[in-house]
Amino acid sequence: MDRFKAVFFEEATTLINELERVSLLLHNNPSDSSIIEQIFRIMHTLKGNSTMFGFYRIGDFTHHFETLYDFIREDKMSVTDNVLNITFASVDHLRVLLTDVELENSVHKINHENLIRGLIEVLNGASVEGSIKTHSSDHKIEDKVSDTPTYWLKFVPEKDLVRKGTNVLFLLDDLSQLGVTYTVSNIERLPDFKKLDPADIYIHWEIYVSGNITENSIRDVFMFVEEDCELEIRKISETNLLDQDGFSTIARDISLSIDEKISKFSGLVNNSSSKNRMEEVRSKIEKANEKSIVTSKDNSISSIRVASEKLDELMSLVSELVTTQARLNLVSDQIASSELISISENIEKITRQLRDNTFSICLIPIENLLVRFQRLVRDLSTQLNKDVVFVSEGTDTELDKNIIENLADPLMHIFRNSLDHGIESGEERVKKGKPAQGKILLKAFYSGNNVIIQIRDDGKGIDPEVIRQKAISKGLITADQNLDRRQIFDLIFLPGFSTAEKVTEVSGRGVGMDVVKRQITEIRGEVEVESVINEGTTINIKLPLTLSIIDGMLVKINATHFVIPLGNVDKCFEAKHEEFVDKINDLIILDGEQVPFIYLRDEFDIKENCPQLHQVVVVKQDDRRVALSVDTIIGEYQAVLKPLGRLYKNVDVISGATILGNGEVALVVDPNRIIKEYIFNQINNEVLQ
Amino acid sequence: MKKTILIADDSESVREVVSFTLINAGYNVLVGVDGEDAMKFLDGKEIHLVITDLHMPKKDGIALIKEIRGKSEYQYVPILFLTTESQAAKKDEAKAAGATGWIVKPFVPEKLISTIEKVIR
Repeated sequence: MDRFKAVFFEEATTLINELERVSLLLHNNPSDSSIIEQIFRIMHTLKGNSTMFGFYRIGDFTHHFETLYDFIREDKMSVTDNVLNITFASVDHLRVLLTDVELENSVHKINHENLIRGLIEVLNGASVEGSIKTHSSDHKIEDKVSDTPTYWLKFVPEKDLVRKGTNVLFLLDDLSQLGVTYTVSNIERLPDFKKLDPADIYIHWEIYVSGNITENSIRDVFMFVEEDCELEIRKISETNLLDQDGFSTIARDISLSIDEKISKFSGLVNNSSSKNRMEEVRSKIEKANEKSIVTSKDNSISSIRVASEKLDELMSLVSELVTTQARLNLVSDQIASSELISISENIEKITRQLRDNTFSICLIPIENLLVRFQRLVRDLSTQLNKDVVFVSEGTDTELDKNIIENLADPLMHIFRNSLDHGIESGEERVKKGKPAQGKILLKAFYSGNNVIIQIRDDGKGIDPEVIRQKAISKGLITADQNLDRRQIFDLIFLPGFSTAEKVTEVSGRGVGMDVVKRQITEIRGEVEVESVINEGTTINIKLPLTLSIIDGMLVKINATHFVIPLGNVDKCFEAKHEEFVDKINDLIILDGEQVPFIYLRDEFDIKENCPQLHQVVVVKQDDRRVALSVDTIIGEYQAVLKPLGRLYKNVDVISGATILGNGEVALVVDPNRIIKEYIFNQINNEVLQ
Repeated sequence: MKKTILIADDSESVREVVSFTLINAGYNVLVGVDGEDAMKFLDGKEIHLVITDLHMPKKDGIALIKEIRGKSEYQYVPILFLTTESQAAKKDEAKAAGATGWIVKPFVPEKLISTIEKVIR
């Protein structure tokens, strides 16, 4: 059974999550009967499963809950705020019950009892009699049995019993398992052959059973057909009549009523000498030609649940394959055998497809996060006494599951900020001429190789001037520093900014935004704030589709390899060394345009073997372009990203490393970072000047 | 020859337990995740017993039972439904729809097998 418990837990968790999601729907449409039905069904399944796996506490708890929704769906009750509150509290409690099965934590225990009491009160409030039934199994105390009494039964099945899948002969067979039986078939009702329908039952039976049995055990045999037959059971003797001489003669006489038979039986001498071997009615079970049927389990299931470790394992294997493929590529180039090269190219194609496929498996829709946010908005807005509606768009947008997992916390934080500081109270909003109900929108969409998640509220917004003043007073910037709007909003993410006390009152933002930024940066994302006073605030989060493999451009500076993500590469040029030396403002003319450049040799402090001709890779981020100088461009490369060790944690411009076919390590450049860094340095230079 | 049992239940754990028990007891098992899914197995192959849950999305147990009874190849196949003690009304409804019998949840494997043996052997 243990091996199922894991499945149970997983499934119970899914059910509880589903319950939460559906309950939120109910919150919005309290009278939608299909939702109520759904909640009832979830509860019912959860109850059944938990009892089956021995989680009686959950079973008991969900039983009350199920009753509640049963009443609601039968219109004995309506969905009130109280019901909704209890529902949400129960969702939370069910999660607790899964982790603290025995309610060892006293807080959980008290909560459990309170919730059950609450449920019962609500149920009693519905003034329905006997609302909470205790499961009373009415097991009768078994009749005192003497040695093998004899029972008589008359069994008249309904004509169409077979049509319900019942094999009547099985019933007779089961009876014979109880003890010795003597069966008399009555074929009086058998019609003419021409009128006979083989699927109808015309025969009925009188059966004598003797054994260590009770009336109940006989009734059990007929459990499924009780309502589809005439069944009379009588104990006709305390002893085994079937052994008696002359028994069969009396029993077979169908013209006699049972009462007449009983009196005749009593006349039988208790003589066990003649062993009238029982005529056993043995039913023939029709054996149809059984074809062996292949269990086509695979076709029957359109989707399967896979442990996430297995996916991680798959990803890591594919990564290894990609690396090994690179090696094969290298070797085939060296050997220069056209056959080998064609094989290698083929494998490269397959590897790429495999990689993309594996990726898509690991992608899950953002929708998975939604319930938490809906819940947060509901709970927090109630708590803060604000009327806020949560809207989402594009939630089918998919992201790597690892990213999704790491996204929940920062997003929660942003939501909390919006609700707490962004959206004003109802009165305040009306005063400003806005609708009393505030709105938070979560919008997700693809943008090239990235996914953008926007969280937009229509609250009071952030005043850039207030941020500026705050930053000046915190010593983060100087008073004469000229920052554009975006730069000012970026200040919110600085650690020093958020630790400022009372900042929430003036800015409405800032608490822990540095943490949000850090968490998002850890999944290689970017975060940005835009805000208009009294219109609201938008937080933009830009995320890579996946974390572990990227298409890149392999370049070389002296002996060191670097990979630049292909998604950022705009164009490649060639430039002379002199063009980079001692340039004012670090600008280079490419295609007749001035492009700021970063001389990577300086950046990475590589002095040796400087070539006369440089390759220039122009990378793009949003509308900004920056040229990066490298020695040589080697070509496109699928890079398996490996994280750098802790020692490199502060090296921002490098986002990771990858292993090349020959075993060398190449560093993966983060162009976004480089561009940011460049701009940051520009600002600092301006300040210094 | 192995008998084939079709299970229709939307709960993965129930499906797991039931099919595990049945396979151990020597039956062939087909699994449908709901009534609609289960119907696709009823394509003429021999099925000796259907076990169905009552509450299911898409097509519930009652509808499934009715549909099976309407198919000439399967009109007499035994159908057991999974139920809980509290569902007396459903029991009648399922019986009226043509169910052969029921299995009360929660059940232990022995009970499950003995119930099945009531209707197929």
